Amino acid sequence: MQTVKERYTLTQSQKMMVFILSMSLYGLSNMITELVPSVYVGPVEFSIEYFAFIPLTLCILFHPLYAAIGASLGEVIFGELMLGQFGGFGELEKFISFSLAMYIAGIMVTDPKNRQQVGMAALSGVIIHQLISMMVDIGKVWIGVDDFETLPGLAESVVVVEGFAFFNDVLFSGILFALIPTLYFVPRLYGKIEPLLGMKPRTRENTHSTRGILRPKLVIAAVLLAFAAFGFEFLSETDLNIFEWEAPFAEQLETNLIWISIGVAAVLSLSILFAIISRNKKAKDRIAHE
Amino acid sequence: MDYAKNMMDKLSIEQAKIELLNTAYANDRTAIARLDPRTLFLWYAFFGIAPWFIHNTIILAGLLAFTVTTTIMTKVSRLILLILILGLLGQGGYLLIASLFFGGDLAVLQPLLLLTVKLAVISLASITVFCSMSPEKLSIGLLSIGVPGQVSFSISYGYRMLPVLLEEYNHVFMCYRLRGKAPEKKGLLYWRMAAYFVKLSVISFYPLLLSTAKRARTTVEALETKGSKNAFTNPAVKKLKLSSLRMGGQDYFFLAISFTFITALFLLGHYY
Repeated sequence: MQTVKERYTLTQSQKMMVFILSMSLYGLSNMITELVPSVYVGPVEFSIEYFAFIPLTLCILFHPLYAAIGASLGEVIFGELMLGQFGGFGELEKFISFSLAMYIAGIMVTDPKNRQQVGMAALSGVIIHQLISMMVDIGKVWIGVDDFETLPGLAESVVVVEGFAFFNDVLFSGILFALIPTLYFVPRLYGKIEPLLGMKPRTRENTHSTRGILRPKLVIAAVLLAFAAFGFEFLSETDLNIFEWEAPFAEQLETNLIWISIGVAAVLSLSILFAIISRNKKAKDRIAHE
Repeated sequence: MDYAKNMMDKLSIEQAKIELLNTAYANDRTAIARLDPRTLFLWYAFFGIAPWFIHNTIILAGLLAFTVTTTIMTKVSRLILLILILGLLGQGGYLLIASLFFGGDLAVLQPLLLLTVKLAVISLASITVFCSMSPEKLSIGLLSIGVPGQVSFSISYGYRMLPVLLEEYNHVFMCYRLRGKAPEKKGLLYWRMAAYFVKLSVISFYPLLLSTAKRARTTVEALETKGSKNAFTNPAVKKLKLSSLRMGGQDYFFLAISFTFITALFLLGHYY
């Protein structure tokens, strides 16, 4: 039984294939979505935010980690660097949040033939990504504006503008360009695209091997913690602003608290990334030694 | 209708390809483009982060003036600048309108303006650094600051493959259009046409997924015959690749000028 399981682990070059495939296709789609203009109906923006179905499909069909990182890198290279819109450090946040979301969506699926599972994974991938980027956008205004709390109207407006964009993206891009196309592509490509890369299709049995290495429970728990850190911080701050509008703020304390919580969240997410990477390295070494 | 047709001509795939190659390769003769990538990264490490933590109007204005100057020196295409300005104004304006709606007053205007200046400094700095570097230079530069070899390989691969991929996508898309049937009624505000095109653009990825999978396999096999798996991790290979990098007099000159300017600016901002 052991030998059968080992045959399913990907070789280094197969991982590279998945990486290149995901990078070039998602990069291409990014370039197309950048070129398509968006339509505004009042404040509602009908734009093609991204073709999320490509990384979602690839993460579900292949090794999720390599497909996710490849897609994020493809976005940075094709969609930003080549169009001259590279944002430097800002791209780092996009890179981490997008690959994290796609990776989680990928490991949620144990059986690519199960349509319900695939649909759930597609939607939650988009929701996770949009949630992270919404929080980061709110945080940007928070840090960037000096006396954020004392200005009437600004706090609510930031939350409303960003929250609205979040629901807009999830409902429009999430359903039209993630849920429906993923449900269309995954069953069609399953069993067809894997032989082209010299692999066997993912089944219930062989997903077990990748799961054993990456321990998704641990990863998900850590991610949830990081989210909670962000979320609680965010909630407590808005509550203060809404209910105690005139209360004088202990400013020094508050800014300290903000920095501490941001620091905690950053440390948590960094340690998660390191855990994933080192686990992977260890697994690779183990494979190399065997 | 003529106007729309003109726009369509300008937005053709060919035009997009030419514009892209222009962004990548056209301006590598400027003074900033000749600098060492490490100098530019060091410079960017300050200008990309520091503005977030500065709340002094004079210092921010000075930084903005400095980055505007460097951006003019890099001769970036006007299209990129236009997109940047529209984006900045759009975000600031949107927030302003929303906060006025929630009972704020014009006092919000000043901090929002400061935020916009901060964002502008950061974006202009990144345009200065990343638009002036050619892809080869960027990938060597990234390699030199410890980014894995796979990333710099992907950058060169992307620039080589993109024209091919775009053309193939265009072919598939046209094939679907030829074989398919466009909706007879255009619908309110052309929504039927829009839906039809969106559907085609999504379905076109199906053949492309399969053919790109084949291409990815060929690429990796070709890489393997050249021993790339070893080359990505071997320090001797990295040393050979980085041998073209050299910090020259102009690099130190550029860094010294920036440093002097920033110091003077901080002193000025501190005392006034």
